[in-house]
Amino acid sequence: METISLHNTLPQVFSQRTDINSDIWKQDVIFEKNHLYLVEANSGTGKSSLCSYIFGYRHDYEGTILFDKNDVRDFSVSQWVKIRQTSLSLLWQELRLFPELSAMENIEIKNNLTRFQSMEQIRHWFDLLGIRDKYDAKIGRMSFGQQQRVAMIRSLCQPFDFIFVDEPISHLDDTNSRIMGDILMEEAKKQGAGVIVTSIGKHMDLSYDKTFKL
Amino acid sequence: MKLVWKLLRQHISIPQFAGFFFANIVGMVIILLSVQFYNDTQAVYTGEDSFMKSDYLIINKKISAVTTITGKSNAFSRPELQEIEQQQFVERVGYFTPSVFDVRATFDLDQSTSFSTEMFFESVPDEFVDVKSEDWKYVKGSKEIPIILPRNYLDLYNFGYAQSRSLPKLSEGILGAIKLKINIYGNGSNDEYVGRIVGFSSRLNTILVPQAFMNWANNYYADSESGTITRLILEVNNPTDENITSFLQENNYETDQDKLDASKTTFMLRIIVGIVMSIGLVISILALYVLMLSVYLLVEKNNTKLENLLLIGYSPVKVSMPYQLLTVGLNILVLIMAFVIMLSVRSIYMDMFQSFFPDFEAPGILLTVLIGIVLLVFVSLINVIAVYLKVKSIWNRKS
Repeated sequence: METISLHNTLPQVFSQRTDINSDIWKQDVIFEKNHLYLVEANSGTGKSSLCSYIFGYRHDYEGTILFDKNDVRDFSVSQWVKIRQTSLSLLWQELRLFPELSAMENIEIKNNLTRFQSMEQIRHWFDLLGIRDKYDAKIGRMSFGQQQRVAMIRSLCQPFDFIFVDEPISHLDDTNSRIMGDILMEEAKKQGAGVIVTSIGKHMDLSYDKTFKL
Repeated sequence: MKLVWKLLRQHISIPQFAGFFFANIVGMVIILLSVQFYNDTQAVYTGEDSFMKSDYLIINKKISAVTTITGKSNAFSRPELQEIEQQQFVERVGYFTPSVFDVRATFDLDQSTSFSTEMFFESVPDEFVDVKSEDWKYVKGSKEIPIILPRNYLDLYNFGYAQSRSLPKLSEGILGAIKLKINIYGNGSNDEYVGRIVGFSSRLNTILVPQAFMNWANNYYADSESGTITRLILEVNNPTDENITSFLQENNYETDQDKLDASKTTFMLRIIVGIVMSIGLVISILALYVLMLSVYLLVEKNNTKLENLLLIGYSPVKVSMPYQLLTVGLNILVLIMAFVIMLSVRSIYMDMFQSFFPDFEAPGILLTVLIGIVLLVFVSLINVIAVYLKVKSIWNRKS
């Protein structure tokens, strides 16, 4: 997948509104590989909806979303499965980790699908993010900030052309935010992927190619 | 997959699955047992007359004073045969072929005692005879003829003749081992054969030999392929059919009434077994319903987990698999347990059958196994599809 483009896209709940003033909704937007984008938003402007639409989780929008030249509405279940395994990664704002499993198991259950990252690499990230003592801790017993770091590692455990990170550092201090940004960019660069970061205020300090206001 | 299972086994309710498990075992045992019991009792019913299948009728024309005086033939004519063959209740018709040569049988009881009698043979097509086919076979040129005797011959001897002369009583088994000396003459030939008794019939008052022998012998000793047809054997689809009785009366045909009675009994048995089997089926269906409810509940409780698995790239097929394997595994376990119980119950009543009917030969359990497996496949298929659809609905939730 080389590009993700949005044409005239708008969440259906906004369809009655006339005061849409956004760089993304009702616009023609193209995300390309190898680029870094920031989507800034106030709460309630549909930031998480945007991620859900692009990830094929929700379809309650108007307009079209294209991967390359293909309308995502036409994708079959198996196409979506393949996309989620090998070309599109998403760090959900609500993380979507499994509280019953340990941190490591949460990573493994994702990495087992493609065996994309080595155990050494994963452990290395745990070390860098300062959660090495949490390998075997149950996710349910970890703080949200710690969970965010686990979720970030998990989102890197697959091949991807684009990665969406939805408010990745909302509960992190500046040091950890910086480390996370470094890891994300290093991995994205390695894969030549496009990165789309969303934020409602505090955002990772990176050199963004383009900033959209939602 | 191990991790997925670790995740999805959360909220599995042991009591619910145990409930399904035992309810379904009860249902399955009832179904399998009634099939097996029906099979076994069928063997007992037909066992009394072991060479005849159940739904056969033998008919002939009534012999009255008028026919005797006028010398009118009691043979069936062509149009009459055609009419019978066209009846709705008739599946197949076989003709009795009488012998048209002379037969003398000699039977040595011991050194000093022997019986000798003039007699006759009849035959029916082999497919109407239910003796093991290797027993009921005549090889051309062989000097051994398999024979089926009426059971009342044996009774006459045992309770009449042997009783009054203090001679040993004979069982069917012993007679089967004794050879009859048979002399056949006609057409200038006189040959000696050995007769081997392979079965007794209590409903068919004739001495049966294989059709192949009869055809050959009639031709050889009397230059005649077959004699006149005076008796017919009918295979009917339902012996309790009232049309049979009325048809026979209209045409002045006779049949052995108790044959119809026995058939009625088997028919009743079939109905009773049918009812019992439906009860088993209902219980199994209810059990299946309980299973589906628990699986649905499980999917519902693990909804978020399933959704998250789908969102991190697991396919609906893969996510459904653990629950599908769980239900199919349970079904297999139920079937195995049901078989074990069915077989142990069977061994109890089989002992009883054996003591009532020493000659009783138990039929196999193949049919029951087959039905069990068909049910298993059917139920498992429903489970597998239902779980998949449920997971698919989670996939589609937001669309």
